[in-house]
Amino acid sequence: MYEKTFESTKLAAPGGASPQNWTQMIFVTPWDAFFCVNLWEWARIFRDGTKVAYGYPSGGYAPFPRVGGYTAFYSNGRVYGAYEIDQLPNPNESLNPDWAIDYGKAPSSLVGAFIDDLNHRYLHQPNANSVRVYDLATGAVLGTITHNAGEYFKSLNWVQHGQVAGICSVSGKVKIMDYLFGLNVLESGRIDPHRVAAYDSAFNVLVSIGMDNKTRVYCREAWPYALSNPVFDPPQVYGLKANAVKVRLTGQEGEPCPGWWVHWELTDTGGGVLGSLDKYVSKTDRDGYAWNLYYGPDDGAVGNCKIRVSVVLN
Amino acid sequence: MSLWLLKTVAPCMSYADNGACYQHTPPLWGPDGLIYNGSLVTCPRHYKQTTQSVSHFFFAPGAGPKGEDYLRAIVSFKTTYWPGWDVQRIDFDAESGQQVGQDWVGIWGQAWTGKATLGSYNAIYACMNSSTVINQVSSATVEPISGGWSVNPYNWNPKSIYFMAVVNRQDNLLAAVSSWTLDCWRNIGTTPERFAQMRLPNTLGYMAYESRNYCWIITKDGVILKADYQVPRWEMISRVNKPEVTATDFLITFDTRRKRVVVFRVRPDAEDGACRHQLEFYYPMVSPAQLTKPVPVTSLRANQRIILVAHLIGEAGEGVTPYTVNGKMALPVEGRLITPFSGTELNGRVCFQYQAPDQACEETLQLDVTVEES
Repeated sequence: MYEKTFESTKLAAPGGASPQNWTQMIFVTPWDAFFCVNLWEWARIFRDGTKVAYGYPSGGYAPFPRVGGYTAFYSNGRVYGAYEIDQLPNPNESLNPDWAIDYGKAPSSLVGAFIDDLNHRYLHQPNANSVRVYDLATGAVLGTITHNAGEYFKSLNWVQHGQVAGICSVSGKVKIMDYLFGLNVLESGRIDPHRVAAYDSAFNVLVSIGMDNKTRVYCREAWPYALSNPVFDPPQVYGLKANAVKVRLTGQEGEPCPGWWVHWELTDTGGGVLGSLDKYVSKTDRDGYAWNLYYGPDDGAVGNCKIRVSVVLN
Repeated sequence: MSLWLLKTVAPCMSYADNGACYQHTPPLWGPDGLIYNGSLVTCPRHYKQTTQSVSHFFFAPGAGPKGEDYLRAIVSFKTTYWPGWDVQRIDFDAESGQQVGQDWVGIWGQAWTGKATLGSYNAIYACMNSSTVINQVSSATVEPISGGWSVNPYNWNPKSIYFMAVVNRQDNLLAAVSSWTLDCWRNIGTTPERFAQMRLPNTLGYMAYESRNYCWIITKDGVILKADYQVPRWEMISRVNKPEVTATDFLITFDTRRKRVVVFRVRPDAEDGACRHQLEFYYPMVSPAQLTKPVPVTSLRANQRIILVAHLIGEAGEGVTPYTVNGKMALPVEGRLITPFSGTELNGRVCFQYQAPDQACEETLQLDVTVEES
């Protein structure tokens, strides 16, 4: 689970006489805000939940994310850009003049797609476990990224050069993938289940609008989920010697949690406290490991003693 | 850029007062005389007129007797007097927005002519309701001028029918709307070519000509856009001030002498039947409407530098700049605000940095911005 840094009190609620759920949320770089769409409304939504509606969808244009943090619109096989000022479709210029994308590969509000017209790539999800990369000029399949999320990404969002973030709305799974160089998953994370979400490439955070219409902001640091038992490395423990001991702090997806303070203590299991620890706190490293040294008893005593570790979350 | 409200003239016009109201709908015949639309004078209503529709609104340069600039509206009324309806041209002084004249103009300009607006050579142009032609029309009656300029887009390729058009005869350009789309044409004097289209965010309310490059559009719900119809591209999006004030229709025009936007907000009558239409004068300039709350976008951990982001935006969510937003920590302060103030970026964004202390704490960042009224 990624660390949640903000939850709004303002509600980014869909408007209209019979409000319809948000279907798309796309980060727009020149706005530094999100373009949100439902059946009746085009709106600009800010991170704190402020919503400004300014238009109505029309003309069968299906919005989806474009390289650089912009909106693209799919309509009848063609993909169009949007005007910067208002993100309204610009039907004068097609981003895929050479290859008409058929409806089977078109983006929808449930199965997200992504277009990178700078590097001539189009990303489509053939199933819930992979993303297929197409050449925008010819329609040829260039490769497949297998992510095994088990759920379609509702949106494929631009992260940075060559990277997209797939976000699942039901499970909240997030996969950050390389579609240009390696065709692999670079990072796995998770946010809370939500209605729509987008990757905010200005600050590298994830922003979602929940079922309760609150906006939530998650930074890309894993919130601790599990702390392993302390493990001696090497496993054999000697008296009169510093024995290295490590513990690992990980997130829900098994990803490491760096930079957290781990508290160590020796506890009595009936035979008294044997030996001593080098430190009482140590910080987790890049891989989520915190290290310590255990000195065995120097009087030749034999018995059991327990090392307890803990992390204070807040 | 957005729109700075210069002034509002409300109400900008009034209905003829009947001088009395009746407890019950007055009879068509009898001592109270011939009364059509008796509901207009049933208590608490006591006016002889109400608005059926405002069909035209445009800037008429030099239309006054001494060459004054007028803003003109053609309004059709429902009335209590014969024959139950009336069409009048209402002239407003372009400088003050005060009503300076009212004239009966006959129904034909209102019935046969679509939405009229200013175009090239200070002339007024309009699409026709009765045909596909775009004509030069009289500023006084909005009826076509015989022998005046005209084109018929139905003979062009593709065949087109428009509700409203901005005519630029100097550059042979035409920007026209049917409902959702602004079509841009060039070479309209020779071989017309539709070179671009732009999609509106909502159905058209009204359009106005600014110059050989720019036109203004207001949608049915009061969103105002400025377009460069030569490039073409959208230049600006904003919204009328106080969009929550009830309106049944919006019309827009651009005062090409004073370089400002004028919006005619058609409003439902007051409870006693009084007219509540208003004129709003805007200058194309930044105008903040709200400041969003600061949102932390980095990990909230002890001893960390935390970045918080907020936006200063206008009525349509457009960023406004240049403004300075001041930050202040609410007492008691445990950490330190590194950025006491921050200037808005083009998208209205301001960033603040906060240094968290070594221990857990709860802090409040308050933001404020000073906007000087003119």
